[in-house]
Amino acid sequence: MIILLLIGFGLVALIQIPRLIKKQWRRELICFSILWAIGLILSLIIAMGITLPPVSTLINHTISGWFGL
Amino acid sequence: MLLEKGKVSGFQLKALVIGFVFGSSVITPPGIVAGHDAWIAVFLGLMEGLLIAWIFTALTRQFQNKTIVEINSLVYGKILGTCMSALFIWYLFHLGSLVLDHYVRFFNLEVYPATPKTIILVLLMLVCASTVGRGIEVIARCSLILTAFILLIVVSDTLLLIPHIDLNNLLPVLDVPASQLLWAGHGAASFPFGETAAFLMVLAFLNKSESGSSAIFGGLLTAGFVLIVITARNAAVLGGLATISNYPSYLAAQVIDAGEIFTRVEVVVAINLITMGFLKISVLLYGTVLGLAQVFNFHSYRPLILPVGILMVIVALTEHTNTFEMIEFINKSYPVYAVPFQIGIPLITLVVAKLRKLPQTGGNQL
Repeated sequence: MIILLLIGFGLVALIQIPRLIKKQWRRELICFSILWAIGLILSLIIAMGITLPPVSTLINHTISGWFGL
Repeated sequence: MLLEKGKVSGFQLKALVIGFVFGSSVITPPGIVAGHDAWIAVFLGLMEGLLIAWIFTALTRQFQNKTIVEINSLVYGKILGTCMSALFIWYLFHLGSLVLDHYVRFFNLEVYPATPKTIILVLLMLVCASTVGRGIEVIARCSLILTAFILLIVVSDTLLLIPHIDLNNLLPVLDVPASQLLWAGHGAASFPFGETAAFLMVLAFLNKSESGSSAIFGGLLTAGFVLIVITARNAAVLGGLATISNYPSYLAAQVIDAGEIFTRVEVVVAINLITMGFLKISVLLYGTVLGLAQVFNFHSYRPLILPVGILMVIVALTEHTNTFEMIEFINKSYPVYAVPFQIGIPLITLVVAKLRKLPQTGGNQL
């Protein structure tokens, strides 16, 4: 699973990064790299079986707490 | 800088709005909290949805050919405008992951129980990313074909279910307390009608900007009418089962039996979710990446499509631990959570723009 993930993310980087470097779009390259890295780290965490806190549960608890629903 | 060169016609936008509203709601009908009166809740939701649409179309009429991100920076200035835009972009992103979650849960429960969620999500996201990469014009053109096809399926399903309809299942009318009905109505407004606020990122690309309001209202009314019919039909066919089932449309389609030959057509209902889910996720992914590109003043939104799509899939994978939690979120928290994004941001922006008398001359000078 982790190898498949790395191949997938590697392919995405291979498709995008050379294009961005060629066009000299630095800001786009930085933003792409940050989002790509966050995606890779979170995917690896999930692939290793670590449970990430669900966003909706957090919203559920907050709204239930505030409005007493 | 012009990030989108494509143009959408009023008719294409109307089809896109219908497809967007159907999204996952054609499978998970709204207003289910109201029991067999759900169709009344959907009607009330449609009315509130039209009010929400009036607010955001008034904003786009005032600032023609501008997305909400551009409007925010004009109305609030750079820093506050960016904060407001970031909130709106977060909503589009999170809504996209919620729709992905609905989609994958349905397929995992009913159609492909042995296929890993990740495979289903990645395949769908690749199709959406590819479409978004080709621009809003392609998404709008897809909606013309797909929405017509789905309307045909919905009409055929409903006609085939006529022999199984028992109108006594809809009685007594207005059986639920008024507060519960109003809450269900507001729930139906927030999911799916109010979600059309996402079109604040699309309305700027109309070839005739004055046709935006009529397309949005026309699309909402058509989709609302179909959803009311679907909800009433499900309750009339399934009775109490419609209230406890997660996917009443799918369950109702299982009842179809025309001459013992035309049976087990429920998978046709799954096509509704595949196609309309694709449209909704594409619009939301498009709105998210275009919004980000406008906030950061990029040359193009295309480099962001794949990483944002991957993040949407990750959030969808971790969204809810089970289907019950998902239904509870839709019925309890989502109607509150969605208000600041669907009503708050457009309404406050409209009021501030009016107070500041913006835009000062016409609408295109800024």
